[in-house]
Amino acid sequence: MIVGEQKPLAEIKQMLAGFHKVLLVGCGTCVTVCMAGGEKEVGILASALRMSTRLDGNAIECDEVTVQRQCEWEYIDPLGSRLANYDVVLSLACGIGVQTLVQRFPNVWVVPGLNTTFLGMPPEQGVWEERCQACGDCILDKTGGICPIARCSKQLLNGPCGGSQKGVCEVNPQTPCAWQLIYDRMSAMGRLEQLLEIQPPKNWSAARHGGPRRIIRDDLRLPEDYRTA
Amino acid sequence: MTDWQPQIIAFCCRHCAYAAADLAGGLRLTYPPTVKIVEVPCTGRVDMSHILRSFEDGADGVLVAG
Repeated sequence: MIVGEQKPLAEIKQMLAGFHKVLLVGCGTCVTVCMAGGEKEVGILASALRMSTRLDGNAIECDEVTVQRQCEWEYIDPLGSRLANYDVVLSLACGIGVQTLVQRFPNVWVVPGLNTTFLGMPPEQGVWEERCQACGDCILDKTGGICPIARCSKQLLNGPCGGSQKGVCEVNPQTPCAWQLIYDRMSAMGRLEQLLEIQPPKNWSAARHGGPRRIIRDDLRLPEDYRTA
Repeated sequence: MTDWQPQIIAFCCRHCAYAAADLAGGLRLTYPPTVKIVEVPCTGRVDMSHILRSFEDGADGVLVAG
């Protein structure tokens, strides 16, 4: 999932300064399950904003709505008729949701309520960890299903480095050494000899280094006359 | 100001606190009319949003009893 966390209330209030009517738009997908921008968090933030701005003496009106997925036209299109009633939209989606709103409703001022943080999962309740950097050229088959791009601080393809101490990364003691995890798993799976293969430098052109990425599937695309966006 | 009494929203669990309040009623015990009881199936149902909304709508205090 895409993992995000809410910006501090003070920063959100700063972005909303000078506006009177705010629509908080939550997203029912990734940021709902990482408890950052779903219906519940929208309700709590709206309540906090109403009370806080009232105490400041410049109360703002906050309405709430949560769509199933803020990054697809069909889910945000129904918002269109409502948006004219507001001075600003505070999106609690990831950065993709914010930009989808902006692209669909170019005359509406949209500000982000979250910091989009990483692609990850919760290893336990209340904890989220990064697992993927969307590098565009997956090598999990070579590393026992543990990604050194996302989980090794140095993104080594042939690890571990000398900073791996007792299974812990020298950059952050909270981070398990990804290459220790890889070694342990390959060992347990009887595939250690696979690690003897030296990995050449990665082709990063499939990652962000090649600029913004795009996938076009002609088998799925509608004929030109039918395209809506 | 001496007559002022706080408005309290009391979220009470159906199985204990609410049942106790019910029993107290049966015994003709009284409590201030400024306490407003909201029966919940379990106090585990009470969420931050309920507490915030109570304060937002004018409560001076929130009691979670269960």
